[in-house]
Amino acid sequence: MQDVMKFLLVEDNARVSDFVAKGLGEAGHTVDRADNGRDGLFLASSERYDAMILDRMLPGGIDGLGIIEALRRTGNHTPILILSALSEVDERIRGLRAGGDDYLAKPFAFGELMARLDALVRRTQQGAGEQQKTALTVDELRMDLLARKVVRGDKTIQLQPREFKLLEFLMRHAGQVVTRTMLLENVWDYHFDPQTNVIDVHISKLRQKIDSDFDKPLLHTVRGVGYRLGPDT
Amino acid sequence: MLRLLRSTSVRLTLVFAGLFIIASLMLGAILWWETAASLERETDAVIVADTQAVGDRLRDFGLAGALTTINERVAQTADEHAVYLLTDPALNRLAGNLSAWPAAVGKDTGWYEASLVRDGHTYPARLFHVSLSGGFQLLIGRDMGSRLAIRHLIVNALAWSALVAVALAIAGGLLVRRAVLGRIAQVNRTTTAIVQGDLSRRLTVGGSDDEFTRLARTINEMLAQIELLIDGVRNASNAIAHDLRTPLAELRARLEDTERRLAGGAADAPTLRGEVQDAIDDVDRLVDIFNALLRLAAIDSGARRAEFRRVELAPLVEEVAEVYGALAEAKGARLIVNTPEQIAITGDSDLVAQATANLLDNAIKYAAGGPITLSLHRQPDGQAAITVADAGPGVPENERGKVIERFRRGDASRHSPGVGLGLSEVAAVAKLHGGALELGDNAPGLKATLVLGGADAALPHANGASKSAA
Repeated sequence: MQDVMKFLLVEDNARVSDFVAKGLGEAGHTVDRADNGRDGLFLASSERYDAMILDRMLPGGIDGLGIIEALRRTGNHTPILILSALSEVDERIRGLRAGGDDYLAKPFAFGELMARLDALVRRTQQGAGEQQKTALTVDELRMDLLARKVVRGDKTIQLQPREFKLLEFLMRHAGQVVTRTMLLENVWDYHFDPQTNVIDVHISKLRQKIDSDFDKPLLHTVRGVGYRLGPDT
Repeated sequence: MLRLLRSTSVRLTLVFAGLFIIASLMLGAILWWETAASLERETDAVIVADTQAVGDRLRDFGLAGALTTINERVAQTADEHAVYLLTDPALNRLAGNLSAWPAAVGKDTGWYEASLVRDGHTYPARLFHVSLSGGFQLLIGRDMGSRLAIRHLIVNALAWSALVAVALAIAGGLLVRRAVLGRIAQVNRTTTAIVQGDLSRRLTVGGSDDEFTRLARTINEMLAQIELLIDGVRNASNAIAHDLRTPLAELRARLEDTERRLAGGAADAPTLRGEVQDAIDDVDRLVDIFNALLRLAAIDSGARRAEFRRVELAPLVEEVAEVYGALAEAKGARLIVNTPEQIAITGDSDLVAQATANLLDNAIKYAAGGPITLSLHRQPDGQAAITVADAGPGVPENERGKVIERFRRGDASRHSPGVGLGLSEVAAVAKLHGGALELGDNAPGLKATLVLGGADAALPHANGASKSAA
């Protein structure tokens, strides 16, 4: 679904590292691997990557945060996803403050990791221009961000404000898999962890509105991972 | 000795005794100055005045005047044992009550102390020798016998009182030491018992409001807090042992079963895939429990209080309602949202949202089918409150304390899915915000009220409205 991307994976746990590298390889991407901070920093500063996946705690004298800070100081702005067993809110904030772009707590599903990497790379490639667009189009679905109107084909779709925000996020990430946590983090203002899967209900309501009268569904469920908006592939 | 001095109690005793003795000595000195010394000064002044008077008479009226004065004085002071003697330059007696110039008084003028004899008795006398014009020698003095007796009495009294003072100082020091040491020893005994594991021990708090009582009270509060935290840790470990073991046991059984079937060659790929997927779901559930536990620990530690900001509750409640509205509707429950008033608190918005979500989640889980009311309002005492009322089975009054305990679920709902930490988390969030979680009867159903402290003063809500979530 995407071009071939090149990733750097710095992770000292061999099994997790194998698992991630294998998954990325199967998705058609290339991966450079390091199992300690020193080698990781060397690779990170000498090669060009689409994104880097760094473990937070690493042997080799320099940890994940250290690598990020060192890279950012030298003007390297490659998107970085932090992996960590430390999932507390403070740790997440520290990671992002050091210059990381996203944070994923262990254990994680590979689908979640891939979806977040896709989103990171896409965001970097699109740059600021995409954010300032006034209209989004996915297949025959069009969203006017100024008039706050959504049309599929020639049918106007009435959406409530939150549904509009949800669809906007999906359309900005059209073709990519978007996970439930990504939706929770980006579409709603307060960050809490619903014990029941409330996102599914919102998606099915949205699906009702944009897909029910059409032959070709646009909003797909990706089993065990999340959702994808776009024409069938 | 040095080690002894390092003991606070010994030092305290010594300081007390030292100060007491110094105070007693100063008191004694003042007494001495005001009594014995004052008597002597007075006597000296009288004697000097007498010599001046005789000198004046001699100058004004000649020898006859001086002799008359001396004879008058001798007569006036007959009972005071005063001594008067006027001689010519060769020390031959001219007038006075001494028969001859005393051997103890020399030619030099000035003060003398001498023993004189009168009527066969020897007595001590203080004498002043002056040389008058014309070479006349004048000796005036007083019998010091009675004054010495008074002086002796005072010295004796002072010596005795000094002795008593030292004794009192030592006794007082020991008393102070015992009082202080006793309290400290009690603190010591109690804390030692606590170190050995008996956390229920408390210091006895006296009735008086002195420093020790306040110290004891502070220590007791600290102990209560520690006991609470340790209980929390103990509960958490028990909870982990119980609630993590169960899903772990399931997971293990599932994996072992799969392995056995694989070994027997009796499993096809789709079945296997389904089982592995189930195993992954088990792990995810375990991670959820784990995250809930970590969140609880983080809330309990109070560290998030540092991140407190102003939180508008109405939009927060409305958003949580919106997230859950669709779910409630899908489960056939009608969610009624009531935010008639704009209330802001100082708090952690994500935690309050999480707590509200937990309450809604519970209501939808256990009481779907009936209406659920989510409302934001002010308690009579001005505190902010978020209430979730359902028409479900409710919680019997005697169970209400228990469902808030960690890893408990009401018996009626044992078989519903859920981590069972939801209400504990709400209670912890409430406590962090200086409030409480109150469970009441909605007749029928449960009425859970999350009371939050630190609310702003009341302000009218701009577009106060009661509405049903879509």
